[in-house]
Amino acid sequence: MKINAKDLWAGGLLMFLAVLGLYINGGFLGIGLEQHTLGSARRMGPGYMPMLVFWIQLGLGALVFFLALVNGPDPLEKWTKLDFVTLAISVAVGLIIWRVMESMGLTTNYIQVGIACFVALMVLAISPSWRPLGLVLASFAIFALLLEPLGLMLTIAALCIISSLADREHRVTSVAGMTVFLCILCWFVFIYELDIRVPLWPNSY
Amino acid sequence: MELLFSNLAHGFGVALSFDNLLFALLGALIGTAIGVLPGIGPVATISLLLPITFGQPATTAIIMLAGIYYGAQYGGSTTAILLNLPGEVSSVVTALEGYKMARRGRAGAALTIAACGSFFAGSIATLVVAASGPMLTSVALSFGPADYFSLMLLGLIISAVLAQGSVLKSIAMVVLGVALGLVGTDVQTGQQRFTFGVPELSDGLGFVSIAMGIFGLGEIILNLERPEARSVMSGKVGSLMLTKEEFRRSIPSVLRGTLIGSALGILPGGGASLSAFGSYMMERKISKYRHEFGSGAVEGVAGPESANNAAAQTSFIPLLTLGIPSNAVMALMVGALIIQGIQPGPRMVEAQPDLFWGLICSMWVGNLMLLVINLPMIGMWVKLLQVPYKYLYPAILTFCAIGVYSLNNSVFDVYQTLFFGILGYIFSKLRMEAAPLLIGFVLGPMMEEHLRRAMLLSRGDVVVFIDRPISATLLAVAAITLGLMLLPNLRKGKDKALAE
Repeated sequence: MKINAKDLWAGGLLMFLAVLGLYINGGFLGIGLEQHTLGSARRMGPGYMPMLVFWIQLGLGALVFFLALVNGPDPLEKWTKLDFVTLAISVAVGLIIWRVMESMGLTTNYIQVGIACFVALMVLAISPSWRPLGLVLASFAIFALLLEPLGLMLTIAALCIISSLADREHRVTSVAGMTVFLCILCWFVFIYELDIRVPLWPNSY
Repeated sequence: MELLFSNLAHGFGVALSFDNLLFALLGALIGTAIGVLPGIGPVATISLLLPITFGQPATTAIIMLAGIYYGAQYGGSTTAILLNLPGEVSSVVTALEGYKMARRGRAGAALTIAACGSFFAGSIATLVVAASGPMLTSVALSFGPADYFSLMLLGLIISAVLAQGSVLKSIAMVVLGVALGLVGTDVQTGQQRFTFGVPELSDGLGFVSIAMGIFGLGEIILNLERPEARSVMSGKVGSLMLTKEEFRRSIPSVLRGTLIGSALGILPGGGASLSAFGSYMMERKISKYRHEFGSGAVEGVAGPESANNAAAQTSFIPLLTLGIPSNAVMALMVGALIIQGIQPGPRMVEAQPDLFWGLICSMWVGNLMLLVINLPMIGMWVKLLQVPYKYLYPAILTFCAIGVYSLNNSVFDVYQTLFFGILGYIFSKLRMEAAPLLIGFVLGPMMEEHLRRAMLLSRGDVVVFIDRPISATLLAVAAITLGLMLLPNLRKGKDKALAE
């Protein structure tokens, strides 16, 4: 078999995004989410360029996809059972939290996105091969979640602790030292020198 | 000629003011640091520092950002030579011979050649920019919408062709980038497109979020996944002095590299890496010492290093004269200028002489500073290289997070970056090149505007793109470029060159 799995997925992804774009752009038989006016070649409406772009992308995606059937082999990395399970659970948990919070009306400052992302990414990090991905991005999510309620200092500490879990060599002392150093550095650069508008401590906003 | 000198004198007046000198130095220092450090490139850094420049005058802001850009070229070659770890794409070629020289104990000499060659090339290229800028501006004024569209199309195609890996996939990535650029308010009708009712998206997706998510976060995750890829430095730098022999041999290579770099840098779509590679190929073909290539030939460092620095300078030409960014860093410059209320384009030379000439002169000043920063202070950068990655990545993450947030004081931007981090991770796993996507994203909205304008003027007739001589030429070049890539020999050559 000479299937190029990477290109196969890449082509599939491109085609999927193109179809999604065409669907949102609308204009075809009344199907579509946003229904942009197409206009004519002379007076292009807001839907004309998207239509062109997504059709080209669909064509290129299809080309990548079908060429991938013969120009391999280029397999993907092996996934273990744990990888599949954690990915599935993580996506499911994320979507459930998102929907539930949205139906409860907890949407101030995109908090539903933040919590859903954070929990889903932490679940993802259970599997060792997803760990760097999950923890690095989770630390980014926790930053967005905590910054406005808790202030910059505690948020940096949270980001450091979660992201440092991604590297095996970190010890408690090294994380603590790094956190203190980064807090001082960020205070000096961003607060003292640049004076950006960010709360420093809880309740000081 | 006389006009040129009076303009340059004016420029030096601007560049040598205390503030501008200080920020040029700051930019050069930051640029060298990120060039040396793995895991963060000039694109991510400049996007990080963009909000900081809002409070400064436009000239000072651009001078600092430019300093970061060419500083990174110098810093990138340091790691390429010492660690065989190119800090930037354009110094990939330097690693080939430079690291071999370091293994032979001539690391110091390789660094000196790289820095001096870069300085010489940078000085010449600065003159090229100063001389050709105003000339090209008058050409640019005769550009119609159709010509602009074709030029951008050419730029996109060149950037896709020069990217690593399959050309077809890279072109698809360019198109995906153009598609991402569609998000936001339609300029002509005010309609919201692909915003899903999210108010933050009405200004479009954030360029900084895309750049930082795909390049910053994606890079960190991949580095953590394969710890063995991060090598440690062994051996000493050694004497910085060149032997007479090395000096004599490198002069013609530096001259040739400067020539190639200055010429190729003007091309839209990523000149620095192309010119470094072109110079390396040329040296290997015509040098008297070609048998030494592969075991640490001086020419293999001198040529490409001069070429990439010359190209870094001349890649400002399309930006300053046409307002078209030739690579991702220039795209950020456009962003910085627009935020300052300056529309980059042919009218900038007359409307903003301080900015235009000040920037050009500060490039030369900056290159001089870099020579000092890099050679006598090389020990400091070597120390920086020894900071373990486990301390580095939380710091980079923190800076990224604060930088993204402070753009609009909005957590939405942080989530957006996170989303593009995931996307960037998928891209790298499927070997889809992200750099063409970024250029497509920046050029997309401009292309749409010019396309619509051109079609309106021609009353819906596509022939306008072939009717106008400038546009027809540009399209022909684009078609030839694509056609060449279909030839199997050339494609193999490119793959081999970029894979090394």
